[in-house]
Amino acid sequence: MKGRMKKLEATIANLRKTFTDLGYITDEEVLTTVYLSLKLEKPLLIEGAPGVGKTELAKVLSQVFDTDLIRLQCYEGLDENKALYEWNYQRQLLKIQISKETACVEDLEQDLFSEEYLLERPLLKAIQSEKKVVLLIDEVDKTDEEFEAFLFEVLSDFQVSVPELGTIKARQIPMVVLTSNNERELSDGLKRRCIYLYLDYPTVDREIEIIRARIPDIGDKLSLEIAKAVSLIRSDQDIKKKPSIAETLDWGRALVTMEKDRLTKNAVDQTLNLLLKTKSDIDAFKSNIGAVRLEEYVRTEKS
Amino acid sequence: MKNYLEINVVRFIHLLRHAGIRIGSGEVIDALNALALLDLSDRDAVKAALKATLVKRPGEQPVFNKAFDVFFAPPEAKEKQSTEYRQKLDEHQQQLEQAGEELSFQGTALDLSDKEKTVYASIPDKDREKLLDYINKTSSGKNVEQHFKPLLESVVKGSLSYWRKSLRDELDLSDRPQTGDQDIDALVDAVGSTGEGGFGSLLEEDMQNIADKDLPRAQALIRKLARQMVARISRRYRQSKKHKQLDLRKSIRHNIRFGGTMFRLRYRSRRVQKPKLILLCDVSGSMARYASFVLQFIYGIHAVVGSIESFVFSEDLERVTESFEQGANFNATMLDVINRSSEWGRGTNLAASLRTLRSKHAHILTGNSYVLIVSDTKTMALDEAVREVSQLKRRVKDIIWLNTLPQQEWEHGKTVQTLKNVVRMYPCNTLSELEAVMRRKIII
Repeated sequence: MKGRMKKLEATIANLRKTFTDLGYITDEEVLTTVYLSLKLEKPLLIEGAPGVGKTELAKVLSQVFDTDLIRLQCYEGLDENKALYEWNYQRQLLKIQISKETACVEDLEQDLFSEEYLLERPLLKAIQSEKKVVLLIDEVDKTDEEFEAFLFEVLSDFQVSVPELGTIKARQIPMVVLTSNNERELSDGLKRRCIYLYLDYPTVDREIEIIRARIPDIGDKLSLEIAKAVSLIRSDQDIKKKPSIAETLDWGRALVTMEKDRLTKNAVDQTLNLLLKTKSDIDAFKSNIGAVRLEEYVRTEKS
Repeated sequence: MKNYLEINVVRFIHLLRHAGIRIGSGEVIDALNALALLDLSDRDAVKAALKATLVKRPGEQPVFNKAFDVFFAPPEAKEKQSTEYRQKLDEHQQQLEQAGEELSFQGTALDLSDKEKTVYASIPDKDREKLLDYINKTSSGKNVEQHFKPLLESVVKGSLSYWRKSLRDELDLSDRPQTGDQDIDALVDAVGSTGEGGFGSLLEEDMQNIADKDLPRAQALIRKLARQMVARISRRYRQSKKHKQLDLRKSIRHNIRFGGTMFRLRYRSRRVQKPKLILLCDVSGSMARYASFVLQFIYGIHAVVGSIESFVFSEDLERVTESFEQGANFNATMLDVINRSSEWGRGTNLAASLRTLRSKHAHILTGNSYVLIVSDTKTMALDEAVREVSQLKRRVKDIIWLNTLPQQEWEHGKTVQTLKNVVRMYPCNTLSELEAVMRRKIII
């Protein structure tokens, strides 16, 4: 807990300030939750639709505390070998081949199972790290249930045992962030061990702030119109893949590059593919909303 | 007061649990630890802290928000709520008593449940008078004796069950909360009656009673359940990368290039075949709504089961696979099937239907197909039906019966008891039961 861990005392006010400085605009609820997870030293489980900034939050956290981000990307079939550690099997074989005649058998065996031949995977790396790191376990809902069970063992004790080496205990308890798209419900056990945060798409006002923070040379009118347009598109039931915040920003940058200061029908038509990326979504947009109506919508209603 | 905070938090958690949110004791401790870190006068912070530590499913958030507002309301509002609740209870009690008095046969009260009495109290005045009139006439008729009472009871019950269905949008038949603490009862009631309880309530609702206004929500829920299930099953059919059994032959062959040193190992993996589903949906009168839900669910998991053959049956069997494979909008398709089918809404003859299946569609009955029958088991010619089912069972891998009757009614039904001996039968009365049975039993 001592040493060079934090230059900054973690308080909600400090978090708010540094988050804003880094361009991550968010609300009090999120800040409070993050703060609690830091203080209670519990993993933070973030759920929400794709593109609401779940992964981004972990990245920003690592910047806030000026520390490393260790990322474990989950996928179907991910197992302990890929997540925790693996013996460098090939290297061990080579060693055996090289020292076939020379070395003493016992020494060789000792030697083969030393840290030199251990491949560190993200979880072990996070545990062994000298510094307090941010461990991001991304898309944890993609893994199998068995792996999930293994994961929450590691997350509750922060120690792992390697049979040949013994138990390795964490030097610093890492800040753990898990994200999930809610493709499958996570087990109660894992959820119980975590502080939970549900991220939703930002409100129009919040999104305007985000756009302004990230694209400094955007005009007031354009940012308002973009935020309103995106929020309308997201509310359409038939559009399957809702535009993410990153896509909103891409769209905004494109419009700025094209030197637009208002959202017009033409501009929408030309740049729509930055926002909607499947044919069925574009079709749904055209039949349900349409560029003309979108332009009218963002112009008429004052917010 | 000492422990004021703890007591309040625990009471709040009590309320959340009664509203259907699962909270473990570890989480209670987390919540208290979290509150210790915050300024308790900051309402939003307290709310965020409780939310982060206690509520861990997106669907539960609206319930939590409501519960928080109700529980941490100003004292005046709370007092008002409590009085209103007591009034509501009294009114309800009065209604029941009045109904009990009115619904009687020659001086003795009819044997009706409280729910039936509530329904009685809610039907329009004119129709209520008619019913009452009928009861009075019967009870005062000539040669009417005491043993007519059961007959009258079943007539009245039938009529009330009709009203219960047609009034399902307006009726509030939920059981009164009973926590043993009247203040909390009032709060639970206030939280429960908001009607925005997420998906939770829909999951447990008898599919037949899902009101029209809830249909879009039910469909969204079905889609979600189906998607989650696809994710779960598809994993199982992916070739296993887990190391189980060493394939020595392949390993040696593969490692010849390294001079025979076992450099890369090869493992055996079992290939799993996707099951084929044959779906038989009973579409006789009362079953139509269930059938449409089940069909939607099955087609939702279309991507991971090998192939689906669907049939609807009542007096006879009809194949509807093509209608659903065109990939058009589900509602339109369903409507199309209903309009086109001559089977929709008639009586049920399972035996004849299965005979048609065996004779006309023999080629699809193979050793790796599962037959799913969705029906309430009410059929004509029961003995013959049982014979047909057992014959069919020999041809296919298994028959699974999804019974839409609520499980507590099973023991009274002769057809259920008889058919249960022949096939595996699972309750499928609510969406959550449908999901559970699909998850556990089908894809083995």
